[in-house]
Amino acid sequence: MNFLVWRLHRNQVYFALAALAVLAVVLLVTGITMADDYRNALAGCAATQSCSDLGNELFRGDGAIIDLVNITIVVPLLFGLFWGAPLLAKEFEDGTHNLAWTQGVSRGRWLRVNLTWSLLAAAVWGAALGALVSWWRYPENALHTRFEAFDIQGIVPVAYAVFAVALGIAVGSVIRRVLPSLAVTLGIFLGLRAAIAFYLRPHYATPVTGHFPLFSSGAPPGAWILSSGLAGPAGTSVAPGIDFGGAGRTVGPCTKFLAGGPHSLGQCLSRHGFHQLVTYQPDSRFWAFQGMEAGIFLLLALGLVGFAWWWVRSRDA
Amino acid sequence: MSESAFETAGLGKRFGATWALQDCTLRVPEGHVTALVGPNGAGKTTLLRLLVGLAAPSAGTIEVLGRAPDGSEEFLAGIGYLAQDVPLYRRLSADDHLALGAGLNSVWDGDGARQRLARLQVPTDRPVATLSGGQRAQVGLGLALAKRPQLLLLDEPVAALDPLARREFLAALSEAVGEGGLSVILSSHLLHDLERVCDHVILLSASRVQLCADIDSVLATHRMLLGPRRPLSEVEPGLTVITATQTQRQTRLLVRTDGPVLDPAWEEAEVGLEDVILAYMGNEHVGSDAARPRLELAQ
Repeated sequence: MNFLVWRLHRNQVYFALAALAVLAVVLLVTGITMADDYRNALAGCAATQSCSDLGNELFRGDGAIIDLVNITIVVPLLFGLFWGAPLLAKEFEDGTHNLAWTQGVSRGRWLRVNLTWSLLAAAVWGAALGALVSWWRYPENALHTRFEAFDIQGIVPVAYAVFAVALGIAVGSVIRRVLPSLAVTLGIFLGLRAAIAFYLRPHYATPVTGHFPLFSSGAPPGAWILSSGLAGPAGTSVAPGIDFGGAGRTVGPCTKFLAGGPHSLGQCLSRHGFHQLVTYQPDSRFWAFQGMEAGIFLLLALGLVGFAWWWVRSRDA
Repeated sequence: MSESAFETAGLGKRFGATWALQDCTLRVPEGHVTALVGPNGAGKTTLLRLLVGLAAPSAGTIEVLGRAPDGSEEFLAGIGYLAQDVPLYRRLSADDHLALGAGLNSVWDGDGARQRLARLQVPTDRPVATLSGGQRAQVGLGLALAKRPQLLLLDEPVAALDPLARREFLAALSEAVGEGGLSVILSSHLLHDLERVCDHVILLSASRVQLCADIDSVLATHRMLLGPRRPLSEVEPGLTVITATQTQRQTRLLVRTDGPVLDPAWEEAEVGLEDVILAYMGNEHVGSDAARPRLELAQ
């Protein structure tokens, strides 16, 4: 039984292995260089006390490699499309389920072995990817915020990959054709990932609301800033993105400084109790958020696998 | 009476509002090669899929080799199934398939299958997608036989083959049957081929069983009668008219009877299996449900 799975899917495994190896080499080489650069820059800036500018200046030339790493966000989806969706759909499409399910192995056992290997492979690749990117991003994480690359590091790539494969399997078991299954898997995966990332993730924990003086650096380093704006003396929020040039009505007492440019206007506003109002998720919540997001996707995956298991065994082949 | 290869009672399968198979009560003894014939869409594939447990019945009961087709490994060990269009993993070779079979079955005669394929000069090291239809069918048959099944079910295995490949396939099948201990059900809409290898026939038409009988007794109990034109109501009571063709002067009947034909006005002619089967099939298309004669012969 294990041999069947290997013989039918070994090319996919070889391909995924090769892709992972290439990525690993690229990331190891560039990662070591970038870590060196970061250490040197840190030593240099400490001497001149200019470390706050480091985030804007370092790794400017590494745009392509940073893009490459960011692109790994699609890898779990690829597993869903090319491992998950065809697993059952291709058997049904080619009719080979008739062959496989009339050998001496029950449909339940066949399914169990296939599902186990597919999900396990997805988890292993997801883990390798997450670990590699987390390691590579160490200087980047230190310079910016880990949250900006939340989706490609830590433990969530494992959950995404397992979910994508489970989704592909479930969709394929119902649709029974490869191409439509790919399309539906793609749509559901992207929709759900985007919905959770944009609408649910910011609310895993109540955001911290902070009041900071104008011209200060605002929220603590590494925080994920959800919103920031200008607040009035009473602590009330003033329309964010205030247009200093034309918003006389909101800057009340400082109207006369409008002509003097942002800096003199800002000093006046500070004096009158205006300040930055920032809501953010502190850096310390990173792993809790990772755990919550991974948990959500693993639970969804569990549901999908359960559904596929029930559906395939209770429906006619 | 020998054990039955399979038995069904009131078996039915519905897809949505349509019955693909209805009220199917059959019993086929072990050791027979049974032809499952009928026009396209008659329910042949449905019946075979129910028998191997790939589909579950909507009504009635099935027993195959003395147990329900429940998909258990004990049940699966007894059957060999070759589905329509010979589904195989296109990129795998025959050798790969045989290796898979060895891993998926507790009883597996891979050497026997390899020898058979070698005798037929079927390349076993090339992806099956590159083989001819006849060679693929032989690979499919080889896989089904390598399980050493007690009951072999073949769904239209020769439909897509050219006459030579068809003959080779049926020869390979006959050889396997000759080794003994094997019951076979073979579906086809090509009657001609089946007469040579089959000794039992099931006729399905419009999702119902029209005929399930030993071929010899079918031939013994059906007569073609030729005589002067006369109304069908005057036909003697012992005869069941299956089809009647009337011309200006003549009446031509296919009848079923257990005894001799008494009316001397009839001239008797022998019938072939194909005549009988076509008569029952043709009957379905014109006759109403109630008027349709059916045949259930004792085994």
